[in-house]
Formats: sequence, C-alpha cells, structure tokens
Amino acid sequence: MNPVDQAVISQGLLSAAREMGIALYRSAYSSVVRDGKDASTGILDAEGNAVAQSDELIPMLVGSLSITFRSCAARYPIAKLKEGDFYICNHPYHGAHHLQDILIFVPIFFEGQVVAFSAAVAHHLDIGGGAPGLNSSSTDYFQEGLVIPPSRYNLDADWNDDGPLRHFIGSNIRVPEATLGDIDSQFAACAVGAARVHEMCRKYGTATVTQAMAEMIAYVERRVRASIAAIPDGVYVGEDALDDDGLSETPLVVKATVTVKGDNLTVDFAGTCPQVRSHMNAPFASTISATLACIKSVLSGEDVPFNEGASRAVTVLAPKGCLLNPLPPAPVRARMEASYRAYDAVLKALGQAMPDRAVACGYDTTTGFCLSYLQDGRYRVFLELRDGGYGASAIGDGCDAVAGPLSNCTNTPIEQIDADYDFFRIEHYKLRPGSGGAGAHRGGLGSSRSYRILADGVRLAIYADRFRIAAGGLAGGGAGALGHCHVHRDGEVIEVRSKADVALRKGDLIVLASGGGGGHGNPALRDASAISADAAQGYV
Amino acid sequence: MKVGVEIGGTFTDLVRIDANGLTIAKVPSTPSQPDAGVFHALEVAGIAPADMVELAHGSTVATNAVLERKGARLALLLTEGFRDLLELRRQDREQLFDIFYRKPAALVPRRDTFEVPERMLANGTADRALDLEEAGPMLERALREGGYGAAAICLLNSFANPAHERDLADWLRARIPGLRVTCSVDVTREFREYERASTTSLSAYVQPVLDAYLTRIEARLAEGGFTGTFSMMQSNGGRVPASAIRLNAGSALLSGPAAGVTGAIRQAGLSGYTDIVTLDIGGTSADVCLVQNGKPELTREAKVDTLPVLMPMVDITTIGAGGGSIIWVDEGGLLRAGPRSAGADPGPAAYGRGGTVPTLTDAHLVCGRIQPDAKLAGAMPLDAVAARAVFVPLAAQLGLSVEELADSAVRIASANIVSAIRLVSTRRGRDPRDYALVPFGGAGPLHAAAVADALAMETVVVPPNAGVLSAYGLLAADHSLYDSLTRRTRLDEAAPEAVRATIMEMRQGLATRADGMGLGADRHWDVTLEMRFVGQAFEITVPLDDALAEAPTGEGLRLAFEAAYGRIYRHGGVMRDRMAEIVSYRVGLHVPPEAVPSLAGIGGHGFAVPEVMVEVFDEGRRQQAMRMARSSVGATPRPGPLVLEDVTATTFVPVGWLAASDPAGNLILRKAAP
Repeated sequence: MNPVDQAVISQGLLSAAREMGIALYRSAYSSVVRDGKDASTGILDAEGNAVAQSDELIPMLVGSLSITFRSCAARYPIAKLKEGDFYICNHPYHGAHHLQDILIFVPIFFEGQVVAFSAAVAHHLDIGGGAPGLNSSSTDYFQEGLVIPPSRYNLDADWNDDGPLRHFIGSNIRVPEATLGDIDSQFAACAVGAARVHEMCRKYGTATVTQAMAEMIAYVERRVRASIAAIPDGVYVGEDALDDDGLSETPLVVKATVTVKGDNLTVDFAGTCPQVRSHMNAPFASTISATLACIKSVLSGEDVPFNEGASRAVTVLAPKGCLLNPLPPAPVRARMEASYRAYDAVLKALGQAMPDRAVACGYDTTTGFCLSYLQDGRYRVFLELRDGGYGASAIGDGCDAVAGPLSNCTNTPIEQIDADYDFFRIEHYKLRPGSGGAGAHRGGLGSSRSYRILADGVRLAIYADRFRIAAGGLAGGGAGALGHCHVHRDGEVIEVRSKADVALRKGDLIVLASGGGGGHGNPALRDASAISADAAQGYV
Repeated sequence: MKVGVEIGGTFTDLVRIDANGLTIAKVPSTPSQPDAGVFHALEVAGIAPADMVELAHGSTVATNAVLERKGARLALLLTEGFRDLLELRRQDREQLFDIFYRKPAALVPRRDTFEVPERMLANGTADRALDLEEAGPMLERALREGGYGAAAICLLNSFANPAHERDLADWLRARIPGLRVTCSVDVTREFREYERASTTSLSAYVQPVLDAYLTRIEARLAEGGFTGTFSMMQSNGGRVPASAIRLNAGSALLSGPAAGVTGAIRQAGLSGYTDIVTLDIGGTSADVCLVQNGKPELTREAKVDTLPVLMPMVDITTIGAGGGSIIWVDEGGLLRAGPRSAGADPGPAAYGRGGTVPTLTDAHLVCGRIQPDAKLAGAMPLDAVAARAVFVPLAAQLGLSVEELADSAVRIASANIVSAIRLVSTRRGRDPRDYALVPFGGAGPLHAAAVADALAMETVVVPPNAGVLSAYGLLAADHSLYDSLTRRTRLDEAAPEAVRATIMEMRQGLATRADGMGLGADRHWDVTLEMRFVGQAFEITVPLDDALAEAPTGEGLRLAFEAAYGRIYRHGGVMRDRMAEIVSYRVGLHVPPEAVPSLAGIGGHGFAVPEVMVEVFDEGRRQQAMRMARSSVGATPRPGPLVLEDVTATTFVPVGWLAASDPAGNLILRKAAP
C-alpha cells in the first residue's frame, strides 16, 4: 500500500474519531461528558475491531469498545444489519463499565456494504435505579438502573420522532430530556464518523480504506510489541489494596502478575480478592481499560494511538468471581476505585520491569463527593470529583493536586458554587503541605477543601479510598499522606469513612482532604536546592 | 504616511500606505532586541519617523515574557483560604497519558501569594468585611521586604462588588508608593476565580515588560521627530493606542496571529467574501481561524502556556505544520510531517544554514512548487541540491523516489491542516463548504488548493502579497475595546429593562474610555450574552443584533437564545418551559480606520518572473507547470498547474483548478468543472 495513502487515511481516521468526540461533548447536557470528558468515540472496522479512538477523552475508556461490540454482534450478526440499524448496550456483564455508560455502534454502509462502524459511549447523568445521585446501597446491578442488554434497533423505526425505544428509555429515568439529548448527541457523533469514512471511500475506494484500517491495527500492534520486546523477559508482580468495601473493615487486595516473554505481555490478576457485596466491583471491561491505560502510559505515552492492535499484543486475565471480574449480579457502580488499584498494581509491576519508567503510585482515587438537600419539594444535588497527588519518579517530583490518571474531571469554581447553592459554602481550598511522600523526589501534594453547611437536613454521600491504605513510595521513598473526611461539629471532630452517608446539621464544617503521591528514592538524597525551595514555598 | 510593523518569529514585516499606494519591506527579526527590529525595518524601507502620521505595531513581546517567565516580580493577593488558586488550577491536566506529568510553573510562586481576610458573596454583600487592622501590618512588611515591583489583587466575587478590591488597592498604594497595583475587576469582570486570577496576574506580570518596550520605541520615535499616533494590536483583532494597552497589558497576549486574521478579513472583504476560513502558514506552524459574516470567532477559553486568559481573543487553532516542520518516519514506519520544527535556525536544509533534516520547505523545493531562484522578500538564496540530499536516506528507507517522498510529505501536511479545519468547524457547529479559504503567510498559498479540495470548499481567495498580510492587518484593523461582566439576569418580566440598563452602563464605560483615547466618532458596537437554562452548568454564547441590543425585548432575547441553542443542540430540541438566564455580558466598541487600499496596490517594486514551463511533482506524478508572475494572471481564468510568484509568497494552482485575478487584486482559485 502507498505510504502516503496509509498516512493520510490513518490521520484521517484519528481525526474523525476526535471530531466525533467534539460533536459529542460540545452539545452534551451532562457536565460529566462536557467538562469531565467521560465519554469515548471511535471508528471500528467492518468486523468491529477498534481502529481509531479519540485521544482527547478520558483514559478510562481506552480499549473497551470492541468488547461490547462483540457482545452485540454475537447476538445480532453483522451480516443481517440494514442501513439505519444500530447496536446499543450498557450491560456491565456484556462489556460496558457500568449502567451509566451507554454504548452505541452504527454501521457505516458504502455502496451497500458495511465498511466500518462508528462508536460512541457517554456517561449519563441518570439511568434510573434506586436513588438519584449516588446510591451506595445497591446489592445487585438491577438496583443500579435501567439495563439495556446487547441489542439491535433501527434509528427510523425505534428512535427518531419519539420512537418506541426512545420513549421506553425516557420513561425509566428521572431526567429524560438530558439523558435522551445525550444519546442524540451520540448518534450525531456517529453520523460525523460515517461522513468521514464515506469521503475516504469515495476518494480512495473501499478496498484501500479497508486495507488502511487493517494496517493501522497492525501498526499499533507493531509499535506496542516493539516496546514490549524492549522489556527484559520475566515475571513481575505488583500489589495494592482498597481500604474496604464500605461494609466491613477488610482491605481488598488487588494483585497483578505481569509476564513478559519476547514481544508478548500478559497481565494476570489472579490473587486479587473475591468480589464484594457493595458496588465497589469492577467489571472485566473496566479492568481491561485500566490495564491498557497503564500500559499505554508507561510504554508509549501519547504518541501511539491505541486500538485493537494493542489488545492483540497484551493479554489481560482475571479469575471469574474476583473483584476485577465479578459474576452477575454483583453491583459495579463505583468501579473506579478497584480500577485504580488495578492500574496501580500494573504500574508497580511494570516499574520493576522498566526502572527508568518507574513511577511511584499516586493517590489515584476517585473521590465522589455529593451534598444533597431537599428544598421546596425539589432535590438540590451538588456532586464533584476531587484530585490527589501523583507519584514521584527518578525524573522528578510527582504532580500536585491533579485529577486521577484514568479520568480528567475539572473542579467546580468557588464563584459558581456561591451563585448556584445556598445551603453550603466553600471556606477554603488549598494544597496540603507535607502530604507528598518523602523521597529524593517527593510525591505530589493532595489538597484540602472545606464546606460550611448553611441549613439543617443536608445529606453527605461520599465514595473515596486511600483513607486507610496510602500510596506507597518507591526505591526508598515514603508513602503519600492518607486522605480524610472530617465533620467539625460543636468543637468535636467526626471522622467519616471513605464510603459513607452522613446526615448534616447547620453549622457543620466538612473538611475533605485528598492524599499525596508516593515518593521516589531515599529522602536523604534529596537535592539541597529542592529542599530549600520546598521550604520557601511552604510545600512541606 | 501610515505604517504597520509586525514582528514575527522569523521575519519582521512592514507595510506602508501613502499617496503612491502601498510598499512593503521584510527583514529578519531580532528576538533578543525586538524593538530594534522595528527601526531596522523602518530604515530598510527608508522611512523617517517624522514622516509617519500613524504607526501600528504588532509584537510577541508580551507572549514571550510569559513563555520565558521574564515578567514583573509580582505579589498576588487573594481571599483568605484560597492562596493556592494558581497552583490548583482547574485540577485537570494537559496530557492524558504522561506518567511524568507536571503542571507548568505557576506565574506567581506560592511564596509570593498572600491571603487577605475578607469574603464577598455572589450577590455582592460582604459575608466578612475587609479587615486590615490585624493582618495589615504583616502584609505590608511582607510586601516591602519581598521587593515586589507589582501586585495583583483577585478577591472572590469582586465582579459583583469591587469594594474590597478597591479598598485593598488604595490601602496598598498609600503604604507602598511605586508599587503597581492591578485589580482583577479592571482586567475582567467575569466569574470563575481561577481564570480571573490567572488573567489578572498575567496582565500585571507582562505590564512592566510591555511598558518598558513601548517606552523605548516611543523615545526613539520622538528622537526622530515622530508626532503621529502609535497603536498596538490586541488579541481580539483590534487595536488600541500604545498608551492605553499598558493599562490592560493582557490584551497584548497572543496578538500576533490576530493581525493576520484581521488582514485576511479586510482583504477578502474587498472581494465580497465575508464567511471565510483563514489559513496562515509560516515557518513553524499553521494557524486556522473561522470568520463568520466578517467577524472572527472570539474564544473565551484562550490560553498562554496553558494559563487561561479570560478576555475575548480571536479563536485561532495552531498546529505544527509550517515551512520548517520536520519530515520523519516514526517507530512504526509511518511517514509524518511535523509537529517538530527545524525553526528559523538552522531551518530547512535549503536555507544552507546547516539544516540536515528534511522540512516542508525542502519538500516544496524538491517538488518544484518553490523554484530555487524564487525572489522571496527577505531574499535568501535556496539550495536545491542540499534540499534533495536530506531526503535521500528516508526515500531509501521507504523505497520511494525523492520526489515521491517529498510530495507525500506535503500531502500529509495538507491532510493535517484539513483535520485542523474540520475540528475547528465541528467545534463551532459549522460546515467548511459554506466558507471560502483565505491562505496567507509564506506557505499558505502553496497548500491552499489541496486543502480546499479535501474539504470540498469551492473557492480559495489568495490575498496579494500574502506574506505580509499581518502587517497590512495592523493598518486595516479597527480600534477595539471590550468589556465583560458577570451579572446573572433571569429572563423574567423585569429582564428587558435590566438587560438594557446593563448594556447601556457598559457602553457608557467603553465610550468614556474611547473618548479618553481620542478615538473617532464612527463607533460600532457588538453585544453578546452568555446564557443558559437555569440549573445548567455551562453557558452558550448568544450574539445580539444591533436592534435587540438597543431595545431588548423578552421575546427577542428568548429567540436569540433559542437560535444559538439550536445550533449546538441540533438534536435534543429546546426545552420551552424552562427559564433561561443571562450569566455574563460582553460589549465591544469598534472604531474603523479610514479606508485602506487593497494590499495589491504595491508601488515601486519591479518584479520580474520568467514566464516558462517548469517541472512540478504533484499528487504523485510529474507535470509541466507554467511559472509566471502572479500579476500576469488576468481576469480570464487560467487552468493549473501554475506556479505563481509575487514578492512575498508563491501560490500553487494544481491541475483541476482555475486561477483568475479580481478587481480587488485577490487571486481567486476555483475548482474547474469536471
């Protein structure tokens, strides 16, 4: 194949995936999609192998599009698809991460043949289920919302003009206009992908485009395998743990065994604790995404656009019934915490294999913080996701107070909160000096933010982690500080667990602190100028 | 005589307008002494300061002060509890998969941030009064001992009530004479404390650098007997007097690319094109901007070195595809063009300054789109042999001829530009087919037809002397002032009067400023509102037409909002029963310059191009192209392939395209009928 056609089609497909992402998030009703970029878009080949995925959206959805696709195609074969048909699914036991993530695949027909699929997944604000906002009490996934199994529908017959599927989904959720509007945006994104593939087929011919897609997958596989081959053969083990499942006090161990042999890499999560009763389980698709995101970060960084080729070079295994591959009907809503520990366990294992790329673990936690208040018969809900410190490396200190590596959510401006909410007020928001793990390079700092409650009857719901088990240091570095959530009430301090619901009173002050990242290297070897700079800036 | 001088990374360009029409000059930039470049350009053009009635200037001096962190020694004063705003930023990161990720250094280090006891609320009432009784003496000591040259103040909700910022500023000025104090409300009155603090500190940070720079220029101008007006380009695409830009130095950030967009708008406008996509390809990058109805899109999310600037800025997307972009093969065997650049030094191999890696300029030379003896202004001789030689190893690796490889690289660069334009249009909800492409910069007209072809854009408007369009833009630009204000207004019965009053208040403020600058009476306004449904977490930009801005009605505001909403939410529909609200207002005041002639009217440049057939390698095959002076193309369309040269740029017209000159001196390229 002509190298320039290859390069131009490859860049064109990547650009199409990005453009689809823009079409999706620029018109999203959900702030999680709009600002948090909790979504993904991509182009799959005619068999459903991911070819190009937007690289501007969050890492957590890397590499899992094809898994859901296969569940759909297994039940409703590609050969029987007609123009206007689409696949839809949010089933966590058929490749989705949790019910909030609805995946849509639209076949792209050219001259009567399916030449590719466009795919769009978005995290939806509300998918029905037991409670609005955060509901930590589910004991199975049925309580977590409306389940859309792997299905095939038709846009004209079932969706457009208030079609029956649209009506059905709208009737099962609390804020239908937002959720349905965001699904519409997913279709719009898919239409953008189809338009771009059509243009390429017209210009280069279907055969060339198909060949270019196959070569794009082979290209990524080549690059990933080349970087795996550079790792010494061996077996590397990493382990980390979650504080608990929110119901008991038992730490939840996550263990990754990375085996490198030639240009093959296998990650096996055998030794990980069994699945739990609460929603802290991570379905297998989440485990795969977290693993691939870690491998991409450590091996290749931004430059290699992951697709099916990466999945061919990397095998991910997790025993059925463990925290990272639970059996139905285990609930999975808060799957991010376990996914982060999977990320950390792989990070630790890869760090042994590639010492020059080794990074200590960061705080690496999704801190979901939710205040709700029933006012004039209407629920006011404030939800935000917090930051944490990154781990240090041989190269430098960890980054201070930043969104976790699998996500990229922004904080909420104080002035926006002041204008929108009258039942609480932020009193401080600052770095936590000294919270980074000590080391020749120190871990990144966490932050502290306080919320003064201005009315009786406000409810706090939180899910977080690393309140009891810190981000460990590396190569002699110290652990990062733990996170914590304290309620100051009448001169007393009430300690809140990392997964909890608390009824609040007027005058309460909640102080929510995120923790730091692990340090790297012996603290005694820290550069004198770095020590004095830390002191001068008040970082320690 | 009126003169525009634009300092770019590689060249400093000059355009002069006088009774004889236009003349131009191009000299190498002097990055270590940018102001010297201004006078060097004047000297080369034979212009004495005393002869100018007007000097318009564009410079990267403010941007560079930020990039190099060479601004004021600055203290930042914030509401107690929030000293770390600049470090915490918005918590997200710029690179998603970088395990060694670090934030760029904060403009004001943590030890230079100070907390002030006070707390203003969103409704403008003080929850806690500004109290300097106890904290004042310590603050004063710290500021004195810190040796600060400037202080920036950004207090929570100051846009709702600036009293605390004003009182604090007065207190500082009284105690520490000579300290330059900047209040956030004097820079921007929009909400979002991090972005406002960032903008305020950027403005205060570059202010002394810009002031010193302009003072040096003014002194030298005065020595030369200059008594005209001296204005400077802003990032919003308009100018202000140099004396005024010092008061809001942040508006000079990222002003470089804005001048080109303004020039493109004016020059294309002479031919009646008002919906355009501008494409500026220079030495290191390609800048793309979408222009609707003669107005550039303005962004509220502009950033300098990832630091947000909460000011209206021409929304320019930059990608790494310029003449110096390096052509390489990545680890997976894929051919790439950019984003890394050989820069100005050593630059392309063809420049003969020791460049050893192939660049886009080398590729154009190998393919014959640039002829080795092309007499480009700033005239450096081109070394075709060196350009060929640097492609040989890569060509061998890929099994291609040198021409095939060079042509492939050009096509890949064009494809990257196509992607950028698609992303910009999608982000704005626009279709590139509805626009004309206006290329400029030294290399824009080389790629334009291929780019337009891929985007199914029917028309390319190549401005004359496209290499100096930015300097022309300086003279063609309006004088512009903007004000913005966060003031929530629900669209209820009282809204029309409240909106009218707010717009009038902002207009009067701008008019007073314009009077103070001595700007003319031909004043035009533009008003946009940031609106949303109550309860939504984000706003959309709603432009108001003049009639609605003069006399707002409830229905008019609602319809304007719904129209803007519908462009974004094409599928979800408008929620008719939900209350909408205004979050922020933005008002612009524009004073146009006297009529500026077309950039085509260049006098005094004898420019001879041999009219011969030359060999060009394009789209994978060898072709015979006519090489001629651009000025030789008349009103009758000529078919490509053509290599058309003027003194600042070469235009390539590929097979299947027709080129014709129009009365405004623009070269119009159209796809030939199949």
